[in-house]
Amino acid sequence: MNWPPTLMHIKIKSKDANFSFWLPLFLLFPLVLVIFLILSPFMLIAIIVLWETRWRRMAIFSLGAAFLALWHLRGLKVDVQGPKESVYISVI
Amino acid sequence: MSENKKKILEMLAENKISADEAYRLLSALDAREGGQKETSSENQPKPDMSTKGKPRYLRVLVTPGDKHADPGHSDRVNVRVPMSLIRAGIKLTALIPPEALDKANNALREKGINFDVRNIKNEDIEDLIDAMGDMQVDVETAHGENVKVFVE
Repeated sequence: MNWPPTLMHIKIKSKDANFSFWLPLFLLFPLVLVIFLILSPFMLIAIIVLWETRWRRMAIFSLGAAFLALWHLRGLKVDVQGPKESVYISVI
Repeated sequence: MSENKKKILEMLAENKISADEAYRLLSALDAREGGQKETSSENQPKPDMSTKGKPRYLRVLVTPGDKHADPGHSDRVNVRVPMSLIRAGIKLTALIPPEALDKANNALREKGINFDVRNIKNEDIEDLIDAMGDMQVDVETAHGENVKVFVE
């Protein structure tokens, strides 16, 4: 079973900015769900309107694909260190 | 041990074949027997690949070479991408409009590669990802940087 990501750690160091924070993704999920429920009627209308066009597939597919990509973010790590700047993103 | 393997070892002991030849023969025999086992077990349920080291992450590492040993003057990259994210990303390619795929095909044709990217199916990608378990790319650039791409 692949669990959705729960926390995102972002660390950025540069000349001007130097910050690090933990983003509690698990707290954002209920918010995203509420937004999705609010927007779902509009999405449904968009899908119906686009049904006859070639954008139909994109309208239906993009929602699922975006959700799937977010769900599988757990384990992603990007660590780039330059001479003066560094970026660290980790999804747990 | 099979009869064939015994024969090969006997031939090696009798100095009829060299150690190198024996190794090659044994390897070929193993490959053939492995293939036969696969064929006979085709109708049986396949074992769980997760215990057999299915690749989980794609890693990209860029480290400075000896020339740039000073950490203050070099770039370092350490990226770990979950394979499940790659699979999800591949599904996003279905959103690529046909015109863009035509352009990609044309670009490939210009480079001498006669290949239609629309022929790539999800099953092919799955096989490709599974086969990536043995992949390792190790490049040392002219600037002395080491680039490693592998799966773990």
